[in-house]
Amino acid sequence: MASEIFERDRHVTFLQMMYQLLPSPYQSQEINRLTLAYFVISGLDLLAAPDRLVDKEAVAKWVLSLQAHPRSQSELNNGQFYGFYGSRSAQFPSEDNDNGALLSRSVGNLASTYCAVAILKIIGYDLSSIDSESILTSMRNLQQSDGSFMPIHTGAETDLRFIYCAVAICHMLGNWSGMDKEKAKAYIINCQSYDGGFGLTPGSESHGGATYCSVTSLRLMGFIEEDILSKDAESSIINVPLLLDWCLQAADGGFQGRPNKPSDTCYAFWIGSVLKVLGGHKFIDKKALHGFLLTCQSEYGGFSKFPGDFPDLYHSYYGFTAFSLLEEPGLKPLCVELGMSAIAAIGI
Amino acid sequence: MTEREMGSDEEQQWVPFKNRPEWSDVIPVEQDDGPNPVVPIAYKEQFTETMNYFRAVFKADERSPRALQLTTEAIGLNSGNYTIWHYRRLILETLEADLQNELDFTDQIAQINSKNYQLWHHRRWVAEILGANATSAELEFTKKILLGDAKNYHAWSHRQWVLKELGGWENELDYCWELLEEDVFNNSAWNQRFFVITRSPLLGGLTAMRESEVSYTLKAIVAHPENESSWRYLRGLYKNDNWSWANDPQIASVCLKVLSANNDCIFALSTLLDLIRHGFQASKELRDAVDAIRNSNLVEAESDLTKTICSLLEKLDPIRVNYWKWRKSILCEGAK
Repeated sequence: MASEIFERDRHVTFLQMMYQLLPSPYQSQEINRLTLAYFVISGLDLLAAPDRLVDKEAVAKWVLSLQAHPRSQSELNNGQFYGFYGSRSAQFPSEDNDNGALLSRSVGNLASTYCAVAILKIIGYDLSSIDSESILTSMRNLQQSDGSFMPIHTGAETDLRFIYCAVAICHMLGNWSGMDKEKAKAYIINCQSYDGGFGLTPGSESHGGATYCSVTSLRLMGFIEEDILSKDAESSIINVPLLLDWCLQAADGGFQGRPNKPSDTCYAFWIGSVLKVLGGHKFIDKKALHGFLLTCQSEYGGFSKFPGDFPDLYHSYYGFTAFSLLEEPGLKPLCVELGMSAIAAIGI
Repeated sequence: MTEREMGSDEEQQWVPFKNRPEWSDVIPVEQDDGPNPVVPIAYKEQFTETMNYFRAVFKADERSPRALQLTTEAIGLNSGNYTIWHYRRLILETLEADLQNELDFTDQIAQINSKNYQLWHHRRWVAEILGANATSAELEFTKKILLGDAKNYHAWSHRQWVLKELGGWENELDYCWELLEEDVFNNSAWNQRFFVITRSPLLGGLTAMRESEVSYTLKAIVAHPENESSWRYLRGLYKNDNWSWANDPQIASVCLKVLSANNDCIFALSTLLDLIRHGFQASKELRDAVDAIRNSNLVEAESDLTKTICSLLEKLDPIRVNYWKWRKSILCEGAK
């Protein structure tokens, strides 16, 4: 028996339970605990949950305990990334008889760093008091010659997701010394597919999540204007009309991540956000989207990927952001580019 | 997003490390979560113990067969943990292990969850070391994964990487053809087709391939005019060449064919709109075909064919009604 309204209180309870304890199936995502925390904390913020539910001091302390710290200036330039660890299982504290090699076992992660800085921003922590110099200086080591970013210094896939993380981090810290923007821009442009959407790497199939990462990154870096559709869309560095058409065609009630695939809750955020950035969200059939999302709403609180599945934290969070985009009463407005409430993004 | 966990049978068969004689010399290292951890996880005993032993050998930087086995178990419990995968690679290097076994290992992990980034990165690492010898194995592996899920994004990424770095382009266009025979709506296969015709060193590039590709695509469109992928592909064949797009009579011809067959085809109409926008002059036949659809849908004619098409699309494609209204409105602003 699907509800016909957005069940805000149930969702707050769902997140509250997650904040207290994540059920054991989440142990397989343990390495990304900071990301899970981001979903919970940003989710509670967007749902305008009571302040008392989140112990801001405890959160700040825990997040900061996951920050990597170089012990010297020379260590800062040894190729490691001194951002934030995704969880304790990437963090190996040095010991008394440490010979320096032990510290290199710790692995800071760009996506976790984005989540960490975002959480701090959401809870109102003063970002000027964290060691952003180390983050930004060592972040440069993660950028590849083609402009893309690797998430960790020990080796991993490189694609658009991590350009987004780098861009968002620099934007939140108010300092672009962490990356070469022009190179990143060039890589992003190469990711626009023949059909107007963006793939995760040049040549890859266009995909809702990749399209989000590319468009918001270009916007945050200042390479595309706000609300470009009401200005000169034809002269943009990317093919805007084709992109717009691709995004809107993805709507079939909900949004598909790729053509001819079923609609999935999270793409309401990924593609809805792109449309917002372009100034095309007024073209979304809000009633149809609202209806689809409600079929993915769980009676236990949270949202699932597809109608009828069990809810998970990821799809729940993006369900909440989608309802914020739909201007659901009681929810805070969203800053789509940074993935948090607009108030948190401004930093009042 | 949570992966399938190890089954309860496997859990019951699991022997705790503290009961294994070959591990008796190792002191497990507990996780230090700190005083007030946020979003704590309800770890099961098997997970906690395995990770405690992992921490112990990792800190000691032990590079032994038993450590390798430990990473196998730890990866089975959290295959996204890149720290464990990286350690595994260090052990493999030290032991000068036979990397063919790694190919089998990744295969097993893929059975549990083929949408894991670390698995695919590991596979790429192995393939890089094995070099060109790995080419056919990698193409076979991705083919196998795609047999289970023809749109697996990771598999496609890996396949594209293999082709670019190791080669093996010979049969790729045929492979795309096979996949599209099975499912002409498979957008991943269309994308791969574009990848092949534009990047294969064995073919002549986009312009050289255009004629044969247009012919192929038009057949697909006529068979299923509701297929977004084929229309997008057709447009893609004229990337950066709007003049050819607007002046190729085949494009207008397929629009006419689809519209005349009384398929109220949204893609045919929007394609026609796009053609006219780029300078195409519609024939009387096309105008009549549009008029016929307009009449049967009780839509008023407008002063301009492009505006009429927009009005028709507002009616036929209601989920995007505001978009078509806007497209009509900007037609007034001099843009044709």
